[in-house]
Amino acid sequence: MLADLVQNSLDGLAAGAAYALLALGFTLIFGVLRRANLSYGPAIMFGCYAAALTHQHFGAGLFMLALVTIAGAVLAGAYVERLCFAPHREGSAIAAMVASFALWMQFEELAALVLPGHLYAFPMLHEGAPLALGAFTFRIDALVLLAVAILVCASLWWMLYRSRFGLAVRAVIEQPTAASLAGINVPRVLVRVFALASAIGGVAGYLVVASNGQITPMLGMWATLKGLLAMMLGGLGSLPGAVLGGLALGLIEAHSQWYLGPQMRDLIAYLLLFVLLAARVPWMTSRSAS
Amino acid sequence: MSLLAVEDVVTAYGKIEALKGVSLEVAEGTITCLLGPNGAGKTTLMMTIAGILKPRRGRVLLGGTDIAGQAPHAIVARGIALVPENRLVFPAMTVLENLQAGAFQRRDKAAVAEDVERMFTRFPRLKERHAQQAGTLSGGEQQMLAVARALMSRPRLLLMDEPSLGLAPLVVEEIFRIIAELHRDGTTIFLVEQNAHMALKVAQHFFLIEQGKVTFSGDPGALAEDEVIRRAYLGSAQQ
Repeated sequence: MLADLVQNSLDGLAAGAAYALLALGFTLIFGVLRRANLSYGPAIMFGCYAAALTHQHFGAGLFMLALVTIAGAVLAGAYVERLCFAPHREGSAIAAMVASFALWMQFEELAALVLPGHLYAFPMLHEGAPLALGAFTFRIDALVLLAVAILVCASLWWMLYRSRFGLAVRAVIEQPTAASLAGINVPRVLVRVFALASAIGGVAGYLVVASNGQITPMLGMWATLKGLLAMMLGGLGSLPGAVLGGLALGLIEAHSQWYLGPQMRDLIAYLLLFVLLAARVPWMTSRSAS
Repeated sequence: MSLLAVEDVVTAYGKIEALKGVSLEVAEGTITCLLGPNGAGKTTLMMTIAGILKPRRGRVLLGGTDIAGQAPHAIVARGIALVPENRLVFPAMTVLENLQAGAFQRRDKAAVAEDVERMFTRFPRLKERHAQQAGTLSGGEQQMLAVARALMSRPRLLLMDEPSLGLAPLVVEEIFRIIAELHRDGTTIFLVEQNAHMALKVAQHFFLIEQGKVTFSGDPGALAEDEVIRRAYLGSAQQ
């Protein structure tokens, strides 16, 4: 019993690390723009497809594929930013969100066009037996995922609290008018944060796809939903909250799958979000991002 | 020669023109005060000069160069800093970080550090609270922080939008003492103020703006002699 609990928690944490990364990217964009980017996941999917194609045609190595994924996600992110968010910077948040939904559809159609089969193989991060430690097993790719997530969080923290660019990002998140009055080039900060968020999403996307060993056109929706869910669980706009929300989501899913069955896994997560929103728990109504 | 010249500026929110052709000048080395009722366009004018709002028409000349319609960060680079209405400090950042944000465009680290020390000398309360989050400061302390943050860019022209708003009388005195000090040290100040009594003590020139138009321009003497203004802004307490 206890062994199951521990093993499930370990598996849940690994999945949660991916969710945390997805939520971090989502939260960064939401923090500076105050707009939800529904095309966040599909842009990540674009990067993953670019890597899958690169692998098919050139047979590139793991590290190269990771770079292609990240570059593809940033490129697609820039496309989304130019088309959906740059024109609606001062205008309607709904217009920007609907526009990002339209691009979501573009990315999905593109994926179906380029790789018409529903499911494609993606080179695995690690093939072979998991690491056994006493009664517990650790998947190597899960360990890589956890390590990379920790590294990304630490780098992001350093960037935000120790660098000049981070000072500008926090200023824009907290008070955009005052940030521009302080001499910060706000549009430029927005574009860079968007690129950074897309890159973090690309890292998450690559690790997930390379852990699963396959890629489908559902990846975009999956990444957007998980990122959104984890961001909301942790409190809209809070970066530490995004990490905690991601880990919590991973744990909740792992345990509900084990104890209630795979059909209940997603239902429980959405039910929890619904209950938390209905109960108006304090951390979910806070607006601070740092 | 005037440091700032606003010429026939029209700024609109959609179809509603908040400024309907405003012209005024601020002479170098002076304190110039803009009076006017709520909704007259005072904040709109400040936001237009600082580049937050784009004028539909007209020119904003700083030292002879037209800066109208430039981005706010470019206008900061040209030497204008605005202390905005309601202060707008960065609430979750420390006092020190707020000051560093104010010096964002400056790359001379040593000189910035010196200026931080200078601000701490001028505003001792900020020094005491340098590691505290700005959102935890009192209204008066936040106002001082907003002024200090604006000064960190070493502006040629300091714009202040109602620095006394919502502050206790003693704190207002303190703010005006600082304004007088800054002026004595050579800063040119363009001030929006509802508190005409306090403004009369420090400003050398006054403009009155009503319904988007400048309706009076003159020195403190002329202001005090104007019957209409006296009634509206100085009331019966005028000595």
